Amino acid sequence: MRHGFPGSILIAALVSLSAVTAAGQTSAIPRMPDGRPNLQGIWQVLVPAAWEIQDHSPRLGVPGGQGVVEGNDLPYQPWALKRKQENLANRATADPESKGYLPGVPRIMYMPFPFQIFQTPTHLAMTFEYAQGVRLVYTNGTPHPKGPIQWWLGDSRGKWDGDTLVVDVVHFTDQTWLDRAGNFHSEALHLVERYTMTGPDHINYEATIEDSKVFTRPWKMSMVLYRRKEPNVRLLDYVPGLLMEEEIGERERRKTNQPRTGP
Amino acid sequence: MNPRAVITVSALAVLGVALRVAAQTPERPPIIAGCPTENLAWHTCALQKARSFSPPRTSSGKPDFQGYWRSRLTQSFSVEGVAEDHPFVKDPAQRWDVGASEIVEPPDRKIPYQPAAARIGREGTNFREYVDPRTTCSTAGVPRLALQDPSQILQPPTDDHVLWLHEDHHQFRVIAIDQRPPVGRDITTWNGLSRGRWDGNALVIETANFNGYTWIDDSGNFYTNNARVTERLTMVDPNTIHYEATIEDPTVYTRPWTVAWALVRDTTPGGYELFEEACREGDRDLPIVRDLGFKFYFGGPWR
Repeated sequence: MRHGFPGSILIAALVSLSAVTAAGQTSAIPRMPDGRPNLQGIWQVLVPAAWEIQDHSPRLGVPGGQGVVEGNDLPYQPWALKRKQENLANRATADPESKGYLPGVPRIMYMPFPFQIFQTPTHLAMTFEYAQGVRLVYTNGTPHPKGPIQWWLGDSRGKWDGDTLVVDVVHFTDQTWLDRAGNFHSEALHLVERYTMTGPDHINYEATIEDSKVFTRPWKMSMVLYRRKEPNVRLLDYVPGLLMEEEIGERERRKTNQPRTGP
Repeated sequence: MNPRAVITVSALAVLGVALRVAAQTPERPPIIAGCPTENLAWHTCALQKARSFSPPRTSSGKPDFQGYWRSRLTQSFSVEGVAEDHPFVKDPAQRWDVGASEIVEPPDRKIPYQPAAARIGREGTNFREYVDPRTTCSTAGVPRLALQDPSQILQPPTDDHVLWLHEDHHQFRVIAIDQRPPVGRDITTWNGLSRGRWDGNALVIETANFNGYTWIDDSGNFYTNNARVTERLTMVDPNTIHYEATIEDPTVYTRPWTVAWALVRDTTPGGYELFEEACREGDRDLPIVRDLGFKFYFGGPWR
């Protein structure tokens, strides 16, 4: 009996090994008809960055978190660090999230709600369960519109760098925060995001934040986007502004003792 | 490069009832795609024309609805139409436009309400006592979104979804092109949950799981969380879609009813792009409306 693998098994093993790229990433990611990575699907983060993007210990109601900021350092200018402390102290009312506003970018990416990606050769759309936000990334080679423009979710233009989608985002308001801990930015915010599938169910999301009015230098955050794999999973909606109004409506109804007649 | 030059910060919310600014009614040319433009005549003619029209196709052979669209043959005030002698037509505070009924079935062109429901809709309880939910920055809902301009349709070449984006309050509708099982009845959403399928050259969208918190028009016409809406989009010519929506709700109607209008392609030279319309973030008028005593809707009269 000969020892060692039969030839056909050896060839199969070599073929599967050759599918691993030099970067160590599997190339077994879904692809669009044009060969680009297929980022479509429903995605959600698991890190608790929405509460605080840096390392933080738990508080009642707030899970502890290993931060998503590279080096765990936010290079605030001195005035901005003071502003961050004020924000933190006043966050119950100062946080735009408490008014039901769109949370801005990158914060909407790590709110604890799913979002869905749709992809054509010329556009990549992200639709968010949270506040029904929409980010439309133009991958058709068009430039940003001329400013000044102050949008809550910015203007996004993307292009492919190999299998990584690089998205350039500008035209922000200064009204959104980066988390619930008062970290913030100005209207000069400029983001460069990188989306890289590391497997069929994971996207590595990295964002470089540049804001010359608030920070002394650019800095990066990164996290994993996980594919929602439950059968028949759908995007629902969570519109905090309307949910707040619904509560107010309920209180009014109870106060005036209006009868509720069901269908 | 987008030629639109005027960029504004978050859009102001629409004013409340007493100060209501008439929404701009789209122009109604005498002919669109070779068909007359009264809604019922349009409905019959456009569907006839569509039978012999071969639409542009995606790379996978599906009818290609992609692009930017604007509604025609619509007005925002009442799906049942606004007659010349309606008191709001000359009222300087309301300034409603005269307009045809968008309803093509039933033949009397009116919503087939059950009697109690007819007192809630049609400028009834909803209109008298409640803020139009769109004024509080909710979605216009279905089918009212299809008459808000502009919109954009995207069809990923994987053929598993159609995405309909609306600039109005940054709304989106996800249409899953498969026959996955419906979601349970206790899940309700503002724009419903939609499944789509192809019927020849028509895109058929079936939507349920509405929360019923939206109005169908400015008059307070409405449905409940029991509603189901079936829409059909069919291209009539390269720049025109025949749009129809059939609304069923056995809680408030005696039978289903259907509206029909046109979606025409935006042909802005140099191209077009949807802008962000951050309604809630720019709202300044809701406190005024509330001070006038209008209540938040959330289906109050029928829940």
